[in-house]
Amino acid sequence: MSGMAATGAILFIVVAIAACAAAVLAILGTAQLAMSGPAAIERDGLARGERAPAWSLRAADGAGHRSPPARPLQLIIFADHSLKSFPSVVDGLRQLRDQDPAVEIVVLLRKRSEMAEPVLRLIGLEGIPVLAGSAALYADYNVRVGPFAIFVDSAGRVRASSLVNHGWQIAKLRQLADVPLLPAGGRSARPPRRRLAGA
Amino acid sequence: MDLIFLGAKAGLAVLLLVAGGAKVADLPGFTAAVALFAPSRLPRRLLRAAALALATTELALGGASLAAPSAGWLNLAVLALGCGFVAVSGAGYALHRDRSCRCFGALSQRRFDAAAIARAVVIAALAVLAAQPARAASVQLGLTARLLLLGCAAIVSVAAYTAARAIAAARDAQIGWSS
Repeated sequence: MSGMAATGAILFIVVAIAACAAAVLAILGTAQLAMSGPAAIERDGLARGERAPAWSLRAADGAGHRSPPARPLQLIIFADHSLKSFPSVVDGLRQLRDQDPAVEIVVLLRKRSEMAEPVLRLIGLEGIPVLAGSAALYADYNVRVGPFAIFVDSAGRVRASSLVNHGWQIAKLRQLADVPLLPAGGRSARPPRRRLAGA
Repeated sequence: MDLIFLGAKAGLAVLLLVAGGAKVADLPGFTAAVALFAPSRLPRRLLRAAALALATTELALGGASLAAPSAGWLNLAVLALGCGFVAVSGAGYALHRDRSCRCFGALSQRRFDAAAIARAVVIAALAVLAAQPARAASVQLGLTARLLLLGCAAIVSVAAYTAARAIAAARDAQIGWSS
C-alpha cells in the first residue's frame, strides 16, 4: 500500500468513525427529545379532506361494517380496552351514540383482543361495534397512539381527526365534521395544518 | 478537498444505515408510505416485501460503503438511490403533500414537502461528490479496518433500530395503551 493510499485509508477511517459517533449521539438526542414531549404526535392521523382507507370488517357478533359508511358520518375510534382509562372520552362517545343517529361509531383495535369488547361493554359502550384491525390499517390511517378519533363521511373523505383525551374533544370534532369540505383541486383545497383538538 | 470527499462518502453511508435501521423498526409505517406510490390493488404482502427490500438495501449499501469505499459500483448504486430519493420526494410533494414519508421511521416526522425535496437534492449532490472514481480508488482498506468499520455500521444501525422502536413504544405508553 503506497503512502498516499495509506493516508487516504487512515483519513477515511477517522472520518467514518467520527460520522458514526455523531450519528449515534444524534439518535440518542432525538430519542430523548421524542420521548419527552407530545409534539411528536401532533401531526398523526389524516388531514381533513384526505381520502380515508376503505375497508370491510366483521364485528364479534358477525355483523359487517365498512368504511366509507352507509350513514352520513362514521366515527372511528382507534383504541382498545384501555379506553376505560379515559372516562371523559367514554362519556363523550356515549353522548354521541345516544343523541346523533347520523353517526356510526366503531372502535377499531390494532389487533384482535378477546378482552376489548367485554371491557368496553362494561364501561357503557354497548352497541358500539368493536372491530379487529391491524398494525397495517393503523399505519394507513397514520395513527400510532390512542385514543384517536377520525370522522369519515360517506364519500370516504376525512372530516375531522385528532387524538382525544376528553369528551368535549369528541363534540368539537363532531362540529368540525359538519363543516363542508372545500371543492377538490386548486391550492385552496389543501387541508390546513392540523392540531390536536383543543391544543 | 479530500476531506470533503471522504466526509460525503462516510456521511452518506451513515445516513443510509440510520434510515434503513429506523425503517426496519417501523415496517408497517414504511409499508404505508410505499403504498402511496403503488397501484391500489397491489397485495399488502408485496408492499411489505418491497418496503423491507428498500430498507435492507439502504442498510446493505450503507454498510458496504463504509467497509469498501473504493468499490466504484457501490458509489454508483448510492448515486442511483440518491436520485431515487429526489424522484420520490418530488412525486410525494406533487401527489401526497404533507403526508409522512417515514424516511427515518419513528425517529423523525419528515413529510413530503419542499424541505424534503431540498434534503433529497443535497443527498444526491453528496452522492455525486462521493462517486468520483479516482478519489475512491485512493482509499484502500485492510481487512482489520473493514471489520472495524462494519462493526461501527452495525452499532449505528442497531442504535437507529432500537431508538425508533423505543420512541414508538414510549408514545404508546405515554397515552396509556396496554397492547
